[in-house]
Amino acid sequence: MKRKSQDCQSRLPDNSAVKQQQLPAYQLQLSANKILSGFFATGVFCLGVGVILLLSAKTIKEVEINYTEKCANCAKLRENAANFDKECNCSIPFVLPETMKGNVYMYYKLYGFYQNLYRYILSRSNTQLVGTDVKDVRNCAPFKTSHNGIPIAPCGAIANSMFNDTIILSYNLNSSIHIKVPMIRSGITWWTDKYVKFQNPSFQNLSSAFAGTTKPPNWPKPAYELDEEDPGNNGFINDDFIVWMRTAAFPTFKKLYRRLHRIEHFTEGLPAGSYSFNITYNFPVNRFQGEKAVVLSTLTWSGGSSLFLGLAYMVTGAVTWLAFFSMLAVHLRLRERKMFFLQQ
Amino acid sequence: MLILICHLAASGSGQLLRPGEKKSGAIMFCSKKKSLEVERIVKANDREYNEKYQYTDNRIHTCKYNILTFLPINLFEQFQRVANVYFLFLLILQLIPEISSLTWFTTIVPLVLVVTMTAVKDATDDYFRHKSDNQVNNRQSEVLIDSKLQNEKWMNVKVGDIIKLENNQFVAADLLLLSSSEPHGLCYIETAELDGETNLKVRHALSVTSELGADISRLAKFDGIVVCEAPNNKLDKFTGVLSWKGSKHSLNNEKIILRGCVLRNTSWCFGMVIFAGPDTKLMQNSGKTKFKRTSIDRLMNTLVLWIFGFLICLGIILAIGNSIWENQVGDQFRTFLFWNEGEKNSVFSGFLTFWSYIIILNTVVPISLYVSVEVIRLGHSYFINWDRKMYYSGKATPAQARTTTLNEELGQIEYVFSDKTGTLTENIMTFKRCSINGRIYGEVHDVLGQKTDMTKKKEAVGFSVNPQADRTFQFFDHHLMESIKMGDPKVHEFLRLLALCHTVMSEENSAGELIYQVQSPDEGALVTAAKNLGFIFKSRTPETITIEELGTLVTYQLLAFLDFNNFRKRMSVIVRNPEGQIKLYSKGADTILFERLHPSNEDLLTLTSDHLSEFAGEGLRTLAIAYRDLDDKYFKEWHKMLEDANAAVDERDERIAGLYEEIERDLMLLGATAVEDKLQEGVIETVTSLSLANIKIWVLTGDKQETAINIGYACNMLTDDMHDVFIIAGNTAVEVREELRKAKENLFGQNRSFSNGHVVFEKKQPLELDSVVEETVTGDYALIINGHSLTVYDQWFITLFNIVYTSLPVLAMGIFDQDVNDQNSMDCPQLYKPGQLNLLFNKHKFFICVAHGIYTSLVLFFIPYGAFYNVAGEDGQHIADYQSFAVTMATSLVIVVSVQIALDTSYWTIINHVFVWGSIATYFSILFTMHSNGLFGIFPRQFPFVGNARHSLTQKCIWLVILLTTVASVMPVVAFRFLKVDLFPTLSDQKRLSLHKVAHCVESISSGCFISLWVSFVSRSASGRRLKRRQDPCVGESLRLGDQAREDLDMLLLTKRAMESLSHLEKICELKIHPRHQGWKRHCIIALAGLKIYVRKPQTQ
Repeated sequence: MKRKSQDCQSRLPDNSAVKQQQLPAYQLQLSANKILSGFFATGVFCLGVGVILLLSAKTIKEVEINYTEKCANCAKLRENAANFDKECNCSIPFVLPETMKGNVYMYYKLYGFYQNLYRYILSRSNTQLVGTDVKDVRNCAPFKTSHNGIPIAPCGAIANSMFNDTIILSYNLNSSIHIKVPMIRSGITWWTDKYVKFQNPSFQNLSSAFAGTTKPPNWPKPAYELDEEDPGNNGFINDDFIVWMRTAAFPTFKKLYRRLHRIEHFTEGLPAGSYSFNITYNFPVNRFQGEKAVVLSTLTWSGGSSLFLGLAYMVTGAVTWLAFFSMLAVHLRLRERKMFFLQQ
Repeated sequence: MLILICHLAASGSGQLLRPGEKKSGAIMFCSKKKSLEVERIVKANDREYNEKYQYTDNRIHTCKYNILTFLPINLFEQFQRVANVYFLFLLILQLIPEISSLTWFTTIVPLVLVVTMTAVKDATDDYFRHKSDNQVNNRQSEVLIDSKLQNEKWMNVKVGDIIKLENNQFVAADLLLLSSSEPHGLCYIETAELDGETNLKVRHALSVTSELGADISRLAKFDGIVVCEAPNNKLDKFTGVLSWKGSKHSLNNEKIILRGCVLRNTSWCFGMVIFAGPDTKLMQNSGKTKFKRTSIDRLMNTLVLWIFGFLICLGIILAIGNSIWENQVGDQFRTFLFWNEGEKNSVFSGFLTFWSYIIILNTVVPISLYVSVEVIRLGHSYFINWDRKMYYSGKATPAQARTTTLNEELGQIEYVFSDKTGTLTENIMTFKRCSINGRIYGEVHDVLGQKTDMTKKKEAVGFSVNPQADRTFQFFDHHLMESIKMGDPKVHEFLRLLALCHTVMSEENSAGELIYQVQSPDEGALVTAAKNLGFIFKSRTPETITIEELGTLVTYQLLAFLDFNNFRKRMSVIVRNPEGQIKLYSKGADTILFERLHPSNEDLLTLTSDHLSEFAGEGLRTLAIAYRDLDDKYFKEWHKMLEDANAAVDERDERIAGLYEEIERDLMLLGATAVEDKLQEGVIETVTSLSLANIKIWVLTGDKQETAINIGYACNMLTDDMHDVFIIAGNTAVEVREELRKAKENLFGQNRSFSNGHVVFEKKQPLELDSVVEETVTGDYALIINGHSLTVYDQWFITLFNIVYTSLPVLAMGIFDQDVNDQNSMDCPQLYKPGQLNLLFNKHKFFICVAHGIYTSLVLFFIPYGAFYNVAGEDGQHIADYQSFAVTMATSLVIVVSVQIALDTSYWTIINHVFVWGSIATYFSILFTMHSNGLFGIFPRQFPFVGNARHSLTQKCIWLVILLTTVASVMPVVAFRFLKVDLFPTLSDQKRLSLHKVAHCVESISSGCFISLWVSFVSRSASGRRLKRRQDPCVGESLRLGDQAREDLDMLLLTKRAMESLSHLEKICELKIHPRHQGWKRHCIIALAGLKIYVRKPQTQ
């Protein structure tokens, strides 16, 4: 014991706040009042947001035209893969009862297409698409190479199954005058996709850059011929291609196809009247019992139309309020009882 | 000293530690296996002879690894753990491309992390083991080599060597004591490192060897051969025979000094090494680490198994779903994914899918929980070590958690096993009272003839006449002094006996004061008492004892010394006084001594017995005192026989014992002594708190039954509301069992009033000590403080845990593997909060947690799903793309989890802030880094999410989704808790919610009314009386007030108030209140005890 007393001081634990578990602390005290008022406020907030969202969703004008059935003959033609080189056009007239004001966006919409399939999603080569190695087809099974072993560019199931209908909207001023509604392609992709994630291999000539590769089996023409007029839209940086490659999360999805170019008749938006979609029908949907549609839509501050978010906010707000009232009731009753006990 | 924790550890691992000799399960790794030793033959001073037996030398290895073996052995050990095997299994699954659904690094990252961390920890531990091994192995000791004492490192000491030990040195190996500086070859050792007992123990050498003394040349010639048992771990047993000079001497444990002991009060001793290094009893006791699992461990294992089963079920369901989908829908997708022939089979696809899901959902099984629990425990043990409140300044000892595995069990203790002496009591004995020749001394009577407390009013008896008087000694009865002065022969004889019959050694320090070195504090108390009363023990030689009798030096010739042992329960000396008379002085347990009295003592015996009962009734330790005049001739005969017996080889001990019996009879009773062993400071409060915590206490004691019961009352272990104290008396295990059975039957007849009773267990056999865990009172404190801190600070660790072990995987994996989270996050949240499992001690709560997890996952999936379905972003682009969806969900998840943690954290220190906010900040910074152009430019394959965070997190609707998700998943939890707190409040809830009420209560308590009321209630119990005696002025005042208050208050009101104040008191007892109010807090604890009793009574009736 004697030997211990010498180092007595040194063995006393430090008196630091951490070691003595005495860090200054704020104790979170959720009193009944705080919780109840919190619930009330949350309810108000949710209901408010819900109402705003619902109101703004109401202002959105949207036209959706499902052309799976309407172009039955084309659909039938596409069922047989052998007819891939036969062109099939289809015109779908429709009437726009009200003017669609502001920016109008044109989407194609697929039903029952599982772009979120695990193996489907993986079947792409980012190194190829970024242009560093056009022959890198490592992850692209089952569309790595053609039968004779030539690497496919762009490889993989996603690229191979690219949506390749062309949709042209005409405004039928009267029965004879059909004005092609001016549509622009720019801005339908993410900036990072267009300029970072997707790059053509750096060669003077795009076709020579793709030398030693072959087109995906489903494609009618190779990637470097996607848009021969605009080099900024050709090859891997083709906007439609990029949009397609950004795979959808759900089996039913719509992808932005074109934006209304607001000039001439269309500065205000799409005027009411009769229109028609002229569709070059290439993409087969009958094979997977899917459907396809074309959608015209305007936007609000929060984006495209969906009642869901607004409704969900309303419901959450309502439930929160319900909870608030029941909790209040329980609390008050209990307090009464306690008071009763105390007063006795 | 926190022996509790140490002992939990020590008993847990079944090993005995000493500083510097760390435990290890790996001695087997290092020491060479030998053929089994049956018998050990050692020859002193003959290394060559001993070498042929290949005994291990004194080097110890507690290390597990060296640099080369570290990696293989450590990895082998680590992969014996289920968690690591699980990870490995996943890793292998992921290497199969058809199954692999996650990239391999999702598994290897945590696995490598865990394995590396463990390896580093193991390596550090082992490094310290190496270091301490080295340090221990290199200690110096003096060894007799080539007829010279030489300094030698411990590790070079060999079996058969003769070692010289000096005072306060650690014993290097298991030694046979040969000789020492003290008479009779005695030496004193402290065995605290071995068995935790701080009493000095005495060892004595054989008389033949003790003659060797410090004579180096004779010692060097010593060539005795010891034949003894093989190395074993029995600390209290040794059998062997020493053959020397043609005669054989039997050896027992009394002749052996074990490694790990410390030599005390003995300036030197010589010993011969019998067992060295790993063969020593100390080392034999180590190494059998039995891993103790806490109940949380067990629960966790069960839960993990359940979760694993759940995972399998989930995998099967999803695989079946996959088969169906493949069959009905997937078929049509052949065009897009020319699948292999084999995969066209939907059943086979389902099979593969099953394994894929097992991989994807692997994080459902909270394997990281084990790691985190370890970390939490480690943290707790550090907090224990750092706690100044558990620092015992008396011995400059901080608390020490010697194991990290049992920390949380400290909050779940049900039974405390305690020794009495030195644990409940201070083991500082004070001579209080005595009965001499039928008269009690040391009791003060006041005017009314009532016994009053000795400590009060009366002045202590002054001993100014006696220069040697001990200032700390207080005795309050002048009658004794008067009797001494008057020369009452019995009184003189009584005191003379106290001064002569003992084993105390005296020493004069530089100031000329007498210092007594005592083996047992009882003896010390008696000798000191005699000294203060004028009979001063001065010095002893092997043949004489010199005492100063009221100023005159008298030297007695010491003729025989009949030592104490647990069977004899008495000791005697036979002395010849200067007048030539031979006297036997004996002191011992009353029961034993009373049997050996001369028949003429009948009357005195009855009187003394009464006195003894009275002493025992006060919780004093008693000894009876007697003497015998011996006839010269008779003694000579007897002494001759004793010498013969001593020289005998066969049945020596038995013969000696018989001779002792023979002479210790026909004794003349002198009286009895009563020594007080004060309760340690805080014992009452501690025991009360423990009782309130529903912890049952078992106390082991060797006292008289009455003493034991009274100590029980004194320290609040027994209270008046325990109507019947069952006394279970039995001398054998069978008897005791039978008694217990009877008591139990009785109990059930009496409506289980025993529910929180305690047991005072009398030790009938000293051997039973072995099976009992000890702890000190400070240990009890440690327990309560610790149990408390666990609940308060767990939150902190949960937060830490979530951040370090859960959020990091969420971040790392959330970014790499979002492709799966969305489909399958159903089950993740329970995994994101596995920290809760720590809090959840039962399965019921676990299921609530699972339900909560499932709800959260549904919210996390379906709100984004609904909101994204068929929706375009602000710029018209589709936002329902896969990667944006994943980012949204991951972000919502992190925020929901953080909010949840924030809600769970009721104690916000800076660290909590850092971790909660830090985790969110870390999440976002990692997210943006992973999605940056630069990283994509370098590794396009690994970071395909480029630009995602930028695009998604700038969309208003995505933030609206995240907000809604958070609200929807948090609100129900808050509501649930609110209702729970409101409807079924727990104590801690009350504490948190009604602090103001408590503050109010503290005020009312300051007024003293309530408390004094209840103190007065308690005062009617024995504990109260004892409190009164202890003269706490506060209590006294409270008692007075209480008596008044009780009269004033109607009993009906009392009952209701009792309920109210009960809860108030409980709150106060839990509160950390200002030191100024500590006194009140103490009263609260006592009052609470009273209240509980009071409140319980009407309910049970």
